[in-house]
Amino acid sequence: MSDYKKYVCGVCGHIYNEAEGDEESGIAPGTRWEDVPADWHCPECGVGKDEYSLLD
Amino acid sequence: MRVIIIGSGVAGVSFAEKFRSHSKDDEITLITKENDGYYSRPLLSRGFSKNDIEQSIILKPFDKLRASGINVISGAEITSIDRGDKSVAITGPSQEKSIHYDKLVVATGSSAFIPPPFMPYNALFFCLNSLVDLKALRKFRQGLLNQNRRPEWAIIGGGLIGCEVASDLAVSGDNVTLFHAMDRLMERQLVAEDSALLLEVLKNSGVNVLLNQNVHGFAKQENKVCVKTDMTTEFDALIVSCGFKPRTELAGLAGLEVGRGIKVNQFMQTSDESIYALGDVAELPNGKLYAFILPIRSQAHWLAGFLAGQEQQSWTPPVFTTKAKVHGFEAVHPYNL
Ligand SMILES: Cc1cc2nc3c(=O)[nH]c(=O)nc-3n(C[C@H](O)[C@H](O)[C@H](O)COP(=O)(O)OP(=O)(O)OC[C@H]3O[C@@H](n4cnc5c(N)ncnc54)[C@H](O)[C@@H]3O)c2cc1C
Repeated sequence: MSDYKKYVCGVCGHIYNEAEGDEESGIAPGTRWEDVPADWHCPECGVGKDEYSLLD
Repeated sequence: MRVIIIGSGVAGVSFAEKFRSHSKDDEITLITKENDGYYSRPLLSRGFSKNDIEQSIILKPFDKLRASGINVISGAEITSIDRGDKSVAITGPSQEKSIHYDKLVVATGSSAFIPPPFMPYNALFFCLNSLVDLKALRKFRQGLLNQNRRPEWAIIGGGLIGCEVASDLAVSGDNVTLFHAMDRLMERQLVAEDSALLLEVLKNSGVNVLLNQNVHGFAKQENKVCVKTDMTTEFDALIVSCGFKPRTELAGLAGLEVGRGIKVNQFMQTSDESIYALGDVAELPNGKLYAFILPIRSQAHWLAGFLAGQEQQSWTPPVFTTKAKVHGFEAVHPYNL
């Protein structure tokens, strides 16, 4: 099992943490970034997944 | 206690939701001019390339906020603040004409800044500052597309928003000319090297970028509008994007201390101890306005905790970055914010 990763929204800085998921839009804790639906969007500024990048 | 919030942008809504989660008993009323719900302003600059934008831009309908215990009065405007009896005057659908507050949070945001020489021509140009603006622009554009015409736009101002809008219209297939007063794009945020890169990206997407332009006025000519520099050039429509102007009028009339924004201390408190300001409209003691989503949410969440008695230390700005939403552009160096 690899560690959970974090992805940051390039527009507003929101962080998607795989460990936490995104409760409000029904993404369960532990959901991998690849498994987040393509039409999911940043809960804070509305932009799409393509605006996110891996946080290292 | 009754808390009144003016404005349903990211500042007002983030504060209301966080404060609701801290406090079960306080009464929270949010009053806003908007009718469409809480929407994403950053997405305005993707308003042409995304077809479903008028729906997808809504982050939360007002009914959803109401369901969580926030009393939202939409389509209404606060016209004055009476600090003597701690009330605000309201016009619109509400029965009440005046509402008492114990604490008032001013989150009135900002409008587009119109340089004074352009003001006499305000019937000749559009701005892109709100969802209402975007809908008007999209309707106009659709009218031209319906006649099989390819819209010809002039964008006045090559700052963050001007570059974003120019890019979005160009990738949507329109003809775009961008007039900028300076010798490089986004000179306030970008180092020269990144400005040059941005110029290349915009040119490659078909934008005609004109630097060092002294635009001194506009004119109407039949169904075209003209931009006047040394020469006069015709377009279907113009968008002025020359920065933003905090909406400080209410606070100013109420005698609060106002600079570029409403002056607040490190506790987001104005010169009246019952009144706070957040977001684009708030000017911190260092003279800064934090007009970006991330620091505004931080201010709003901090104030909610503070008013709920859970926060003692003053607000400190978080580290944050931003990014011009120009299709295909990635700056090499950090932005200057
Ligand atoms: C096109 C565009 C693109 C942007 N892109 C980005 C980006 O990529 N990243 C980023 O971080 N930031 C971006 N920003 C900036 C960011 O959107 C703003 O900093 C933020 O939205 C400000 O939020 P606010 O709540 O302070 O004000 P606003 O969003 O302006 O909200 C103010 C609210 O108050 C209401 N109001 C005002 N006066 C009254 C009154 N008297 N009575 C009742 N209601 C009133 C208004 O109707 C409005 O709902 C962008 C802005 C624009 C315009």
